[in-house]
Amino acid sequence: MPANNDRPRDRNLPPRNTVREARASNRPKAFFWILGLIAVVGVAALGYEVSKPKSRSTDVREVADTTNAGPAQGYLIGKVDAPVKILEYADFECPSCGGWATVTEPDVRTRIINAGLANLTYYDFPLQQHRNTLAASNAAACADEQGKFWQMHDRLFQAQDEWNGAATEQPKPFFKRYAGEVGLDVPKWESCFDARKYQKRIGANLADGLRRGVNSTPTFVIGSKLYPGMRSYDEMKRLVDSVAKAAGPIEVDGIASGTPKK
Amino acid sequence: MTKRMIVAALALAGIFISLYLTLYKLGVIGELSCSIGSCETVNASKWSRFLGLPVAAWGLLFYLDVFAIALIGTLARFEDERVISVVLVAEAAVGVLFSAWLTYLELGVIHAICIWCVTSAVIVTVILFVSVADLRDMRDLPAVTG
Repeated sequence: MPANNDRPRDRNLPPRNTVREARASNRPKAFFWILGLIAVVGVAALGYEVSKPKSRSTDVREVADTTNAGPAQGYLIGKVDAPVKILEYADFECPSCGGWATVTEPDVRTRIINAGLANLTYYDFPLQQHRNTLAASNAAACADEQGKFWQMHDRLFQAQDEWNGAATEQPKPFFKRYAGEVGLDVPKWESCFDARKYQKRIGANLADGLRRGVNSTPTFVIGSKLYPGMRSYDEMKRLVDSVAKAAGPIEVDGIASGTPKK
Repeated sequence: MTKRMIVAALALAGIFISLYLTLYKLGVIGELSCSIGSCETVNASKWSRFLGLPVAAWGLLFYLDVFAIALIGTLARFEDERVISVVLVAEAAVGVLFSAWLTYLELGVIHAICIWCVTSAVIVTVILFVSVADLRDMRDLPAVTG
């Protein structure tokens, strides 16, 4: 097929050689100056960023310290002198704890706790395989400082999917948002959270669970027995009723004080 | 400046942005400088990985590739090579689609915007426009024979 170089072109295009010349004309200087400029700016900016001190390490995982843990201190809901004490050992990131907290616990609260049949004390039991659970326990402990542990507890469990270790490596922005939503003094909460002010308390709660033989979450202690796993409302009610009837309140009191079982 | 040079310059800027986000993801950089939006929320989300690699690393590979092809395309012997223009347009189109998906995730799912990701999305969009213009120029060139 003959070259169509001599065919008149159909649009108002520059003569064909001009395009080629324009392409060839000024390759070296301006182009390389611009690339050089971008490279220098880029390298300088990256160099600056890399040399900035790191404010946190991304690969060290925090775990609760159970060595020399002080006395456990859970979070109570319900009447202090309720006849039956329920202890809950839970992990904010564990899905079944989330299921229990969002599905069953509302009923337990209205029909057992608010009815004065029992009270419930929540103890942190952060599991090591959950990346963000300890941070969540800190977020809740710092909410407790402002009297809003349970609001934060509920908010954390409701939105577990959003901040858990599978969703993010940095849960703090979520917790900070919840802090605002549940009506905390956010700057105060934030300084508490950043300082890990209640880390020892969390470690002590974990140590308490370990001493009691808790090895999964959620685990409930009702009366003198350990009940691992989720419990339905009916089961809870039955257990509370049986403890109220059978066990004397003195024994139950001993457990509810949060001191380790001998 | 030819259009391919513009593409190469934009891709080089893209290399630095994606390198920055990749270094953050690798833990070399402690915190992202982010005057607008919440870069860390986005870059720490589960969406920040794609097929086992950080999204930023995909971006880095993408920009390196575009940069190399555009740079080769500015060499005198490849200047009139239409294949280069076609490849640039195809790659840029993939880049734009991927960026559009990421931007959708930022706005619609993560509810946080990362200014560096948006900058990258703008760069890849401009690369696409310039590459398309380059391909049109190619069409206007007579076929090079011999």
